[in-house]
Amino acid sequence: MKKLTSLLAGLLFLAASPTHADLKVFACEPEWAALARELGGDKVSAFSATTPRQDPHHIEARPSLIARLRQADLSVCTGADLEIGWMPALLRQAGNSKVQPGQAGYFEAASVVERLEIPTVLDRSLGDIHAGGNPHIHTDPRRIAVVADKLGERLAIVDPANAGYYDERRQAFAQRWRRAIEEWSKRAAPLKGLRAVAHHRDWIYLYDWLGIEDAGTLEAKPGIPPSAAHLAALKAALTREPARVVIRTPYQDPRPSEWIAREAALRAVVLPYTVGGTPGAKDLYTLFDETIRLLLEAPA
Amino acid sequence: MSVAALDVSILGPAFVAGLLVVATHVPLGREVLARGIVFIDLAIAQIAGLGVIAADALGWEPQGFAVQIAAVTAALLGALALTFTEKRWPEIQEALIGVSFVLAATAGILLLANNPHGGEHLKDLLVGQILWVSYNQLVPIALLTAAILALWFGAGAKLGRIGFYATFAFAVTASVQLVGIYLVFASLIVPALAIRRLSGWPALWRGYALGALGYALGIVASALYDLPTGAVVVCALALTAGLAAVGVSVKRRAA
Repeated sequence: MKKLTSLLAGLLFLAASPTHADLKVFACEPEWAALARELGGDKVSAFSATTPRQDPHHIEARPSLIARLRQADLSVCTGADLEIGWMPALLRQAGNSKVQPGQAGYFEAASVVERLEIPTVLDRSLGDIHAGGNPHIHTDPRRIAVVADKLGERLAIVDPANAGYYDERRQAFAQRWRRAIEEWSKRAAPLKGLRAVAHHRDWIYLYDWLGIEDAGTLEAKPGIPPSAAHLAALKAALTREPARVVIRTPYQDPRPSEWIAREAALRAVVLPYTVGGTPGAKDLYTLFDETIRLLLEAPA
Repeated sequence: MSVAALDVSILGPAFVAGLLVVATHVPLGREVLARGIVFIDLAIAQIAGLGVIAADALGWEPQGFAVQIAAVTAALLGALALTFTEKRWPEIQEALIGVSFVLAATAGILLLANNPHGGEHLKDLLVGQILWVSYNQLVPIALLTAAILALWFGAGAKLGRIGFYATFAFAVTASVQLVGIYLVFASLIVPALAIRRLSGWPALWRGYALGALGYALGIVASALYDLPTGAVVVCALALTAGLAAVGVSVKRRAA
């Protein structure tokens, strides 16, 4: 009998214990869900609104997205207009005051790092450009380090009861991540000066980190299919100054990059782009392991 | 299966939007079937989208009301042109509708080549997402629906060819932004197909019931199985209408 009571008490304790009252994180993209898990450990449960095979610029509306955001304590998105097509509508439908812009429960990763390609003039003839600069910041692990620091602090703010736990994890992650970056930088040294063509301007932060040379983009204007003239000019430029690879994400149409790979003798490479993008990219660490491995494997 | 998303405050606005679309599209769909011009909604929606791109190219600030004016104006002009072609060349009307769809779509791409931000508006216009609808957005749509229904059932045959095409332009321009092009097509054609052998009120109320049932089943299924709502509703509409049609023919054979 005594055993039974203690068992029941234990069950009750489990049911009421804070591990079951996880901090609910709604991430817009898999990389931020992964980062929240690194930083929050078993105190958070993170959900990603998009899968690695989905273009985060556009998603289809599902009821569960509204339900998830409604229950969330913290939303973590890239920002810089990446999710402009769906996040405002989702925030409105969810009506969760904790995660609205301006609240502690609303976190935009791009707003805490230095962004590239911030247009000096917003000219609509230049394409589907983002006023906040290029939003694909997570392809540079140094920027992820900055985001991790701020996100860790934010976790401690929205869940003060576990602030000590988050601080510890934030510092541990910072250390481990710094060592990982050193290791990757060393391994990726041969990639410096590698000339790469990209499908969309998703990789400029990776270029910025590894010193990869931008040899052009298949989409002359972001978001618009390339014209014949643009492709011809790109091919001519690549004949004059050859490049080695053409990079795309798993969710992009393979045809344009395979075309240019054929025409200009490039190697077409699919990089994971985010956690889960390829089977090997299981977390943030293996994401960069894979990215560098795939680039190094492309023959000269 | 997830029951968490089964929440009236999440699914309610989508269902009401569906009912409003069904209210005008079932009677319009019967007419479309009778005239044998099933792709007209694709053409009209695409022409409405072209209007928005053109307005953007002309340098209008394409926000809010201006977008709607541009869209409806283009749709009405398109409707007017189709009225003319139906009168002039009735035997090739459906082919002409198909051609105008392709022309409007490609003209849009060409205009966008130098004006990409119009693309966002075009996308907004053609791929409405039923779950993003809010009750506030539904108020003007409800008024428009009431006006269309009053005109349709009030004027009846007096509406004539021009009346039909103009009404159609208004109805589709509004509904496509709400629920997207696939659902507009399905709401228009699928219930109308199921009730094509019936006439008058018995046909109409069965069409309405099938439409409402399809939306209800589709929205609930999308919540339970966590699938994109618009696409699931299209399947549910086809399923309910298909079962109803089979039921009718079985009954007919038995009788």
